Order: sequence, then C-alpha cells, then structure tokens
Amino acid sequence: MVNIKNRIRRLRFDNDEMTQEELANRAGCTRQTIIALEQGKYVPSIELAFKLARVFGVALEDVFQYEEDT
Amino acid sequence: MAPLQRRALYGLVFGIVWAAAMAVVFVLKGGVSTFTEDQGFRLIIDGLWIGGLVVYLVLFVTITRQPAKFDERDKSIMDRSAKVQWCAVILSLVGWVIGLTESYWDQGIPPIFMYIVFMSTLIVSTVAQSAGILIGYWRMNRNG
Repeated sequence: MVNIKNRIRRLRFDNDEMTQEELANRAGCTRQTIIALEQGKYVPSIELAFKLARVFGVALEDVFQYEEDT
Repeated sequence: MAPLQRRALYGLVFGIVWAAAMAVVFVLKGGVSTFTEDQGFRLIIDGLWIGGLVVYLVLFVTITRQPAKFDERDKSIMDRSAKVQWCAVILSLVGWVIGLTESYWDQGIPPIFMYIVFMSTLIVSTVAQSAGILIGYWRMNRNG
C-alpha cells in the first residue's frame, strides 16, 4: 500500500477551485495523472512533485506527506 | 480513459483482427507450401505484416510525442508493458518449438519456418504491448 499521502484536492480548492485540467496543464502532466494522484493511486516522480508544489506556491511537504508504517 | 489507454485498446482490437486476417489469408491461400513456392503470395503476406507494424508504429509513436497526452505515469505503464511482451514472446516461441519439433521430427523442419516464426513473434510482441499497457492501467487503478 502506498503510504505517501497528498493534499492536492484540498490545495486545488484553496486556489480558486482550480480544475484538474488547469493543474495538469500547469504542472505538465495529464488530467488522468491528477485524478490518480488525488485518489492515492499514483506516486509522482520527484520532478512532478516539485512542479505541483510550485504551481500551488507551497513547499513540497505541504503537498506530499510520507507516513511511516506503525 | 487516458489517451494512451485508448490507443492501447485500439491497438489490441486492431492486433487481433490483423493477426486473424494474416492467419486466414495464409491458410486459405495454401499455407506453407504456397508460401515457399509463390512469390506473389509471400508479397501479400509481407504487405499485411509490414502494414500492421506501421499502424502500430503510428498508433504509439504519435501519442508518445504529445506531452499534453503522454506523461511520466503513461511512460511508466508503457515501460512495464515490456514484461507482458517478454512473457508473450517466450510463450509463443515455446509453442513454436514444441509444435515444429513434434510435427517435423522425422523429416527436419523446413527453413521457411524461420521466416514465419520471426513474423509471428513480432506480431505477438506488438499485440502483447497493447495488452500490457491495458493491464498496467487496470492494475494501477485497482492497486495504486
């Protein structure tokens, strides 16, 4: 099970309800990848993670959080 | 449905029709003996084979050159489809080896089969790539 969580959906809504399409265009990926990310079904590369954080204007860890297995 | 996923679906359907068409033409026109003797027949099979490969090339190369439709997730799925291709190719070759060995054990395998095995292996490989891509999307959507 992937234990990297993200706040992409929350951040989209906090940024004037940015659409998945707009986020995908600005981050340089497809809308399907944004959907997979929001559903927790895909972990992006470091490069895409930084691009997403840059689109929202926040630090990487404000978008992605690694949760240790307990 | 992702653009690459749609292309893979088209590729799988086309590949099955393509392989079936080649097999039907091959059998109806007389099979191996005609293939050995009739150059016109060989050219028909060559045309069908190369035509199919070109369709696959166009289907997948055009999508991989469009950044808006093909990103790192699609690339990772496409890369992983190579495992399915390998399995399909190996199974196909095992089938050919066993089939040809058992059919031609006494008289020796006609050299023309090298050509047919090569053609069929490339067909299996391209069709399996489409299947591998579809399996990749299915697994990613199911398991993450």
